[in-house]
Amino acid sequence: MTTPALNLSNIELHYGFVRALDSVNFHVNPGEIVGLLGDNGAGKSTLLKVMSGAHRPTTGKIEVNGRELHFHTPKDASDAGIQMVYQDLSLVEAQDIATNLQLGREQLRPFPFNLFGIVDHGAMQRSSAAQLDRLGVRTAPMTRPVEMLSGGQRQVIAISRAAVRVMEGNKTGHNGIILLDEPTAALGYEQTRLVEGLILKMAQEGIAIVLVTHNLPLCFKVADRIVVLNRGRKVADVRKNDTDNDSVVGWITGAKAAEVTA
Amino acid sequence: MTIADPSPQSTRLPFNIAALVFVRERGIIVLWVLLLIFFAIYDHPYFASVSNFLLILNAASLTAVFAAGVGIGAISGTLDLSVAGVAAFSSVVAGKLIILGYPVWLALIAGMSVGILAGFVNGLITRRGLNPLVVTIGTLSMLSGLAAVVADGYTIPGLSKLTFMGTARYFGIPAHVYIVTVVYLIGTIFLTKTRDGIRLVAVGGNPEAVRRVGINSARYQLLGFVLCGACSALGGLMTAALVTEASPQANPGSIFEALTAVALSGVSLGGGRGSLPKVFVGAAILATISNGLTIAGVPPYWATVTTGVLLISALVIDRTLTRTISERLVVMSGHISHPKKP
Repeated sequence: MTTPALNLSNIELHYGFVRALDSVNFHVNPGEIVGLLGDNGAGKSTLLKVMSGAHRPTTGKIEVNGRELHFHTPKDASDAGIQMVYQDLSLVEAQDIATNLQLGREQLRPFPFNLFGIVDHGAMQRSSAAQLDRLGVRTAPMTRPVEMLSGGQRQVIAISRAAVRVMEGNKTGHNGIILLDEPTAALGYEQTRLVEGLILKMAQEGIAIVLVTHNLPLCFKVADRIVVLNRGRKVADVRKNDTDNDSVVGWITGAKAAEVTA
Repeated sequence: MTIADPSPQSTRLPFNIAALVFVRERGIIVLWVLLLIFFAIYDHPYFASVSNFLLILNAASLTAVFAAGVGIGAISGTLDLSVAGVAAFSSVVAGKLIILGYPVWLALIAGMSVGILAGFVNGLITRRGLNPLVVTIGTLSMLSGLAAVVADGYTIPGLSKLTFMGTARYFGIPAHVYIVTVVYLIGTIFLTKTRDGIRLVAVGGNPEAVRRVGINSARYQLLGFVLCGACSALGGLMTAALVTEASPQANPGSIFEALTAVALSGVSLGGGRGSLPKVFVGAAILATISNGLTIAGVPPYWATVTTGVLLISALVIDRTLTRTISERLVVMSGHISHPKKP
């Protein structure tokens, strides 16, 4: 029995009288991809925000790699090796791929230039290319501004940045956790394929992945396990191979009785 | 496994798009060169001389310093209209200290400091979520009032100690040209080569994205205001040095000329993009038009008209080019807006 990378137990979250999350148990193992599904307002975004440290649950326990943690801010979660990729892209449009990938951890030129904060563009481009290579991503030259990339390429860059950060900033003793909020919402077919490939590759690297999406085909293609929320409750937690499209739609719409097998 | 990008643009842009990008990025420089050639022919033989070129650069200098401030502000995502007020206040403070017998260097440092302080205050107030336009209009009015208080409402004359950074020439080149060169050199290196500069530009483009990677983006917005205040103060001191007197009257013309140069250079007023050397070319274009038309004997108000026409055409062309480029890129990358069945 492996220790889950991220384990949430009995999470409750109340907004005033509204119970957004109702004793939800949720876990994701290293290298596992869990599809988190549900209708609008079912609580999946809220649950994702609890995992990313943006919301504090009213009650409940959060464990990362078997250790109980309390997230007060998103930074606490990111220090614990959890990276969230938001639905609206978090890239600076006018700047190039390398700058976007290294934002916040820019490499400086050696002494004496580092005293003036002079960055080493060449080194940043080389390490960006190496990082993307490791993830098997080939998009465009590192000097291409993000605004000149397609939607899929941008999404791949945003996800790769999160992946690099959990893999390299790894002082946490686990392979990291990536939370994806609707990564293919605005993408066409080919573009979705790009993102799909990257998600699978990250799981191969041992990263635990939580995928919130409305895109059922994507979910069935990449997820190992599917969790469905309905009105703040977990109504399904099943291995992908044990279920089918109709059942999942039944759980999402509330037409099918709850089933927690995995 | 390789996540290969299916689109063909992976390595190089095709020629026609590269050409459009070139026109968008370098068009302003081409325009300046064309204007120089046009006036050299039209005003032959009076325009095309080294001494006239230095006159143009000198005339562009003041606008260029203010434009550097407005430009850095705009790139960092804020619009500071208090430029003229800061300039008046800092020149009056420096002028008053010189008249009172303090050493010139101390007066200059004091003048620069009040400018930096004004930028800091602008930034702190704006940080509360207020609109920078309105806040800086407020500080503009406050500072020009304060300048009048310091100067007792009158222009401070007799600042001949400042001519070394005003009308003086070194090796035949006006002092202002040296100052502008230093400002633009440092500013350009800062924005393109240093960590803080790159982050400043990034904050202008998308503050939320910068915040999400764990950088304090509010600090960089504050820095944008401070740099704008410093440039404004320097412009005020240069103005005082040029006319050897410090006027408490804020000159609204300076902010509009600076804004014109900034907009002409393609700096997005929405923030996040723009380059300082092009801002300088913007200021130089304004000075070239005014110089060339004056030599030709055309009444000076036609220079203003021409500037307005140029500005609006530049905006229209920039918008059209940006749209065409992104449309072509989308077509090329095979982006399909409606997912097709596998």
